[in-house]
Amino acid sequence: MAGPKRRASARRSRKRAVVSSKTAPPELRGRALRVGDREVPLYSGAMHYWRLEREAWRPGLTQLRDLGLPIVETYVPWQVHEVAPGEHDFGRTDPRRDVGAFIDLAAELDLLVFARPGPHINAEMTYFGLPERVVYDRACQARSPRQNPVLQAFPPRMFPVPSYASETFHEELGRWYDAVAEVLAPRLWPAGPIVMLQVDNEASYYFRDACYDQDYHPDAIAQWRKYLERRYGTLAKTAAAHQEAYRRWDDAAPPVRFEAERPEQLVRHLDWSRFREELIERSLARMGKRLAKAGLHGPVTVHNLPLGDQGVAMSSAAIERHIDLVGFDYYHARREHRAIKRRTLTLAGTHPVPYAPELGIGAPAWFTPLSNDDSLFTTLTALAYGLRGFNLYMAVDRDRWYGAPIAASGTPRVEAGAWKTLLGKLKATRFHALSRRVEVGLMLPREYAQLSRATSLLGFASPTVLEAVGGSPVDACREDDFGFAGPIQVLWWKMLARFAAALTARSIPYVYVDSDADPSRLEGLRALITPSFELCDPERWRAVTSFAEAGGAVVYGPAMPSLDLRASRTPFEVPRGGRRVLIDTDDDATQVVDELASALELRRPFPVSPAPLETTVHEGGDGPSVLFVINPSKDRLTACVTVPGRVALEDVLTDERFGGQDTVSIPMNGWSCRMLTIEAAAEQEREAVGAAS
Amino acid sequence: MISESLRFEGFDSRSWTNLISLFAPRVVTRLESEGAASDSPELHEDEASGPRAGSLVVVLDDRERVLKAFHTIHGRVTDLDYPGPDGLEDLAARYGARRCVVLREGVMEEIAERVAHRIQRGEDYVAQLLVVARAVRELSESGQLVTWPRPLGDVPIPTAPMVQRALDTVLPDGHAMVMVVWSGATTWTGAVLRRRGGAIDLIAGPDLIARWTGPLGGDWRRDHRVITAAVERAVAPVHLGVFTELTTLRALLRSTDPGSWARAAAVRDVIVHPTPPYVAVALGADAVRAAAQRGARWLGGLEALGQLSPLATYLRGRVAEVASVTATLGFDPLKLLAAYLRRAEDAELEADRAPGRDAVDEGDAVDEGDAGDEGDEGDEGE
Repeated sequence: MAGPKRRASARRSRKRAVVSSKTAPPELRGRALRVGDREVPLYSGAMHYWRLEREAWRPGLTQLRDLGLPIVETYVPWQVHEVAPGEHDFGRTDPRRDVGAFIDLAAELDLLVFARPGPHINAEMTYFGLPERVVYDRACQARSPRQNPVLQAFPPRMFPVPSYASETFHEELGRWYDAVAEVLAPRLWPAGPIVMLQVDNEASYYFRDACYDQDYHPDAIAQWRKYLERRYGTLAKTAAAHQEAYRRWDDAAPPVRFEAERPEQLVRHLDWSRFREELIERSLARMGKRLAKAGLHGPVTVHNLPLGDQGVAMSSAAIERHIDLVGFDYYHARREHRAIKRRTLTLAGTHPVPYAPELGIGAPAWFTPLSNDDSLFTTLTALAYGLRGFNLYMAVDRDRWYGAPIAASGTPRVEAGAWKTLLGKLKATRFHALSRRVEVGLMLPREYAQLSRATSLLGFASPTVLEAVGGSPVDACREDDFGFAGPIQVLWWKMLARFAAALTARSIPYVYVDSDADPSRLEGLRALITPSFELCDPERWRAVTSFAEAGGAVVYGPAMPSLDLRASRTPFEVPRGGRRVLIDTDDDATQVVDELASALELRRPFPVSPAPLETTVHEGGDGPSVLFVINPSKDRLTACVTVPGRVALEDVLTDERFGGQDTVSIPMNGWSCRMLTIEAAAEQEREAVGAAS
Repeated sequence: MISESLRFEGFDSRSWTNLISLFAPRVVTRLESEGAASDSPELHEDEASGPRAGSLVVVLDDRERVLKAFHTIHGRVTDLDYPGPDGLEDLAARYGARRCVVLREGVMEEIAERVAHRIQRGEDYVAQLLVVARAVRELSESGQLVTWPRPLGDVPIPTAPMVQRALDTVLPDGHAMVMVVWSGATTWTGAVLRRRGGAIDLIAGPDLIARWTGPLGGDWRRDHRVITAAVERAVAPVHLGVFTELTTLRALLRSTDPGSWARAAAVRDVIVHPTPPYVAVALGADAVRAAAQRGARWLGGLEALGQLSPLATYLRGRVAEVASVTATLGFDPLKLLAAYLRRAEDAELEADRAPGRDAVDEGDAVDEGDAGDEGDEGDEGE
């Protein structure tokens, strides 16, 4: 079967202006940064200048560079630099606050800079880096349904979180941007080394993102009403959709708790759930524009989602319409292989550059302890599934953190060796330029995720929180069916999980594609599997039918959609050649996958046994270049990898060599991931085997 | 009690994980347990195998209809019949859970609202946590939040000033505590705590301690003096110092032999220097633990201490100090400690009895070995 017709790429070209390449703003090109004439892979490391003595800056930066990182990343914390309302210190009274000198030193050491001026930075700082006066300004505070402040509970101090809708807060952060721009703007590329800028941080309502947790700030409610007006046009249509008797817009209050029993009663809650995503998207877009207005325009802009991507009340794909590079943060133990895989496959399927703005080495003291082995496993596994860039957080140790490879004094720790080796091999293999061929996409239906958030029963222990601690985003969803055949808010996830397991068992590569993603993300896929129930977003369904129209194979089910998101009966087109399936058991999914694999002759590169071992293959222009073998279990196993002909493999971290004709045996420790360069040269392989024996 | 400007620094991942393994072993052993069986696991009654682990969470509506049930490790539960608050122990057993938490719909939101309404600007973190504890207690007492077991159910919640006064006894203002554990000639883990301005403002790890001391001689029984002196120079006068070897500490933590701590201190397998009076009482904690296992009453019933002579004599002399802390807090912290240890042991014994127990043994230790051996796979810790 022919693949879907390739559409012309709609990727941004605004930065390709007619200017000299040496003075052009940095841009993303080919999964790397283009800075002047240089291609710079997206590998950076975090170092917090204000937390270190000045004399530790040079050794820290030098070691960071020697680790193989071309970019140093740092927050620029509002709280630290604001010494009085409207008064800022950038080194005048405390040399550690001299961020300009820090950036200049980085430039002197041939490092580029990724600056993150907030306003939210977390960084385990009290008040998450915001000035105390701002978080205690009632006008800035997010509100609960009863108009109480909304508290963030991390130590060493609970505090009221700001509202993403608050006009006062946006005015305050604008003044901060103006102040910090005075120091940062003269140091933007090409005048200085700043090539990346982050807009805010982990914009998930400060981890208080449950559907009815916040934000009932008057400015948020005003935005809610504007949202309804945009969506429905008139008050009467809004009232009809919500089954309410609104007489004026002020009557259109947001729901403060879930109370729906029938499909038509879900509409208001789905609207609220979707609005909360849009509130974040608009707020970030506004912050991005405000940064530019302050003079900070040119660098590649970045944003990061925290742990819990499916539970988070924000759409990474929607945010990427305003911000150049959106990625996920990674803080995982080895036992969380499943989450690492799911998150990376979502990035790979949804975003053009799968990127981790924070890839944890070490952790804050109040997280579950993580070892260096955990961090290495997480990194290798994420690379295996398609991560192409990352910011090692932290590269240099600091207050309220442990486990960075470089001590706060600037001395490399013993763990630094493995990171240096890995970074060297990523550079040597040009890993960022390799690609993983994937033919199957699992579509993540955003409307069902929104329903899951609305029906979650654990209040502030939101789907995000449950996901972050190892659960699923539907763990706490009520089981009501609302008159449908089953609880959609739970079953969509179950269906995807079954297909993911079946594809994995058959060694068929797949990715997750968020339904908000740019349609170009479906290019190259040959099969699309998506849950569908009676209720469905017509816009998403159009993407599904377009995919089928272009020749792609569509698997959907269990139901053919019939109701739009207003719970109105709507004709939904049957996907051309699509196959509707009922997946009641794991075996049902396996059978469908087998039939799909047979009909489409889906690729199964370098399959491995026994289960649960997995492989992934990354290819360059000359074919397979890097092979990952992953052991997600605790048991020590020997991987038997089927290879095309005679192949020699070399582990990039241990230098061990393996070779064979048609199959290669590789010993795998429990919870381990090997990155192996693929060499087809038989001579080398024979020499290696001979030497080993 | 915890400074807004708390500094935590000087740990690498190994020294921090090692330290955690001493005081919260389940947090560390959880890292060594298998992850979820699928992205969307499900559990049915009596299907659970292996040692009991995790929590069963049940959410009810006002008519006690089950809106949701799930196991924190094994996933969604769809066949649960709620037996009422008196049947939670059996319910937890049927689904292989160590705990059962039953909530009324909306109770989490209620906790959030009450806490947000009550917490005042300027309150310290401990005071804030006490506000949370009181809100949870209120809802628990009104039946909206029911748990099994209820390890702290009868413990009165102290006020912030009470905790402050208790802390005055444990670590007076302007002083530091230091603990260092060695493995052979190298530091396995260590920490320094400083209290200044009434609050804990520094938690420093082995990297910083090493920077303060410079190179050590390699004999910890001598080096401890160098460390104490360095901490006094760099941080604050030391109120309590605890120095020992990992093997000794592991043996002591596993020992049920009454008085083992006191004996170890006497023969300098553990050096406690300086030794504030209340620490002498803590040295008898394992004796209390042994007594509890035999079904005796704990420290509250002083007759139980009669079995522990000569340690009892040692403890009796300090009853006044225990009583002062108890009076200050409204509960006996040693009694709590004994209860904690007993529950930890119960879990371990249960895991030992369970077929196929091999999840956590010494070979799975964090480093050269860890002190935690609860075998509680996937447990969230206490």
